Amino acid sequence: MAANFWTSSHYKQLLDQEEVDVVHPLDKEKGITLAEFKLLKMHMANYIWKLATHVKVRQRVVATAVTYMRRVYTRKSLSEYDPRHVAPTCLYLAAKAEESTVQARLLVFYVKKMPTDEKFRFEIKDVLEMEMKILEAINYYLVVFHPYRSLSQLLQDAALNDISMTQLTWGLVNDTYRMDLILVHPPHLIALACIYIASVLRDKDTTSWFEELRVDMNVVKNISIEILDFYENHRINMEERLNVAMAKLGSTIHNLEILQLTPTSY
Amino acid sequence: MAEVDPSKKVADRYLKREVLGEGTYGVVYKAIDTKTGQTVAIKKIRLGKQKEGVNFTALREIKLLKELKDPNIIELIDAFPHKGNLHLVFEFMETDLEAVIRDRNIFLSPADIKSFLQMTLKGLAYCHKKWVLHRDMKPNNLLIGPNGQLKLADFGLARIFGSPDRRFTHQVFARWYRAPELLFGTKQYGSGVDVWAAACIFAELLLRRPFLQGSSDIDQLGKIFAAFGTPTSSQWPDMVYLPDYVEYQYVPAPPLRSLFLMASDDALDLLSKMFTYDPKARISVQQALEHRYFSSAPLPTAPDKLPRPAPKRESKNSEFNPHEGPTVLSPPRKSRRVMPQPEGFEGNTHQLDKHDDRGGEIRLAAGENTSRNEPMPMSVDFSIFATKPPNRPTINSADRTHLKRKLDLEFQHPEESMR
Repeated sequence: MAANFWTSSHYKQLLDQEEVDVVHPLDKEKGITLAEFKLLKMHMANYIWKLATHVKVRQRVVATAVTYMRRVYTRKSLSEYDPRHVAPTCLYLAAKAEESTVQARLLVFYVKKMPTDEKFRFEIKDVLEMEMKILEAINYYLVVFHPYRSLSQLLQDAALNDISMTQLTWGLVNDTYRMDLILVHPPHLIALACIYIASVLRDKDTTSWFEELRVDMNVVKNISIEILDFYENHRINMEERLNVAMAKLGSTIHNLEILQLTPTSY
Repeated sequence: MAEVDPSKKVADRYLKREVLGEGTYGVVYKAIDTKTGQTVAIKKIRLGKQKEGVNFTALREIKLLKELKDPNIIELIDAFPHKGNLHLVFEFMETDLEAVIRDRNIFLSPADIKSFLQMTLKGLAYCHKKWVLHRDMKPNNLLIGPNGQLKLADFGLARIFGSPDRRFTHQVFARWYRAPELLFGTKQYGSGVDVWAAACIFAELLLRRPFLQGSSDIDQLGKIFAAFGTPTSSQWPDMVYLPDYVEYQYVPAPPLRSLFLMASDDALDLLSKMFTYDPKARISVQQALEHRYFSSAPLPTAPDKLPRPAPKRESKNSEFNPHEGPTVLSPPRKSRRVMPQPEGFEGNTHQLDKHDDRGGEIRLAAGENTSRNEPMPMSVDFSIFATKPPNRPTINSADRTHLKRKLDLEFQHPEESMR
């Protein structure tokens, strides 16, 4: 989307990390910690990603869906907004908003095919009810910008658009949706951070190219560190920690495979 | 649970008044916002029968209007769910440009015309700056507020453009406002389509009747060529490569002056630049606004000084129901939007262009548009046809009773509101 980011609602809605990192009082009561809150959102992002591969929608639809989900939980609690309903409905709404509608019927069909808790019920009416609630929760702001577009432009500009770099950075960008970066930073800075990480990993000298860009490299480096920390953090005991968090929440998604968290996985 | 709060909101915040009409996807009623004292128009969005949730066109309109805030664009003030339906709150608009153009009691001075055109172009320039194509510019979508401000409305066909995959349907705009490249079936177009439509509106302001009234897509091109001459390949080099290009018999252009006897030289110059065949050579909205037409005398009339249809018809000239009332001489055909002409569909060979899964939208359309008997052949961008009924419904007394029964809102004496 080439629309102007700086005049968009997305830009105006960017939050500080501290604003995003607030566990809703209702979830706090259940003993959900900030780390667990983040873990659960990551898990939902993974779920949306997996569901999307069945439903077959474009990448940006998935990215938009994850962004909606994350925006919902800056305002609403996991306890009141059942993640099992929110996640697929975000995909449904994002598909509509990105002009590649998925039928609710189809979505429900694929949700049922996913491994899940047997007692869990999910019907078309749940999608439609939740759609309205999500719209309200995200205050009807539907336009979302993503790093992908800037990524390909920037790679080209830096003459780094070979297959290996493209794949690596693309994968990195995908993985940033497991974090809240899209709520906090302008998308092109996220793209730059991914290029930065990739160029360090692949020993590409991009110093002069970065210097010529008129961006605050401190921000880019901070985002990069955040991404690397994230990878570091989630190598250990992921599944166990997730199960603890879900047990606290009581009624969340069970028995779902946890995706491997390597930079190129998606 | 989600309904407790919002329903209070309707009762608490918005005082319902009379029904204004049937919008593109639901009933519209007038209300008072008790929070601000402002009069507003509330669109209640019908849910489709096919269980596809919030209407796709409505969602598109919400999505774009949440991004577009400009004095010359209709303001989406609020949105809320109520009894399972989504309600959109817009600023209340008194009338629309079509009602002004058709009202024979109104005399439009050159300065008035300039003012209307300038406001139209300003709203459009803002859209284009934000990479939004309106794609449904016509007098009836240009609403006029209590202070005479003209605002673009009805973004149900609008799209963000400039995306890498910018293949769009050419079945946009009411036919009379459709640019020649659309009529030749182009899928890759830009802001020029809105400029052409704005030029048609400009011409309509000058003539006080729709300028190019084609009865089919082929006839529309014929009307265009009769007015401006058949385009030559030097005028428009890319024309012959357009998907639906057909050769037309050569017609020379009559002098533009002969079509617009009363227009000033500046007006004619701007008009001819907006009616340029080659979309690449066509003037942009921004350039049009900088044209000397707008800086030369007479200067545009101040919005609050512009003539308007008599206020006694207030309830008629609502945003959504402009065809009502004794003095609006709009023919019923004007209520058409995208007309499902066979040649526009069957002749279409680009059915596979849209690879997205659009199945849902077909259902959506069939569900929400009860006035249509059978689903149209959806060959192109379904979203367009799916979500815009070909006929813009107007309300007659039979409908009104039906509506009243259907509505879960009490409104004042219908006789009074529909007078």
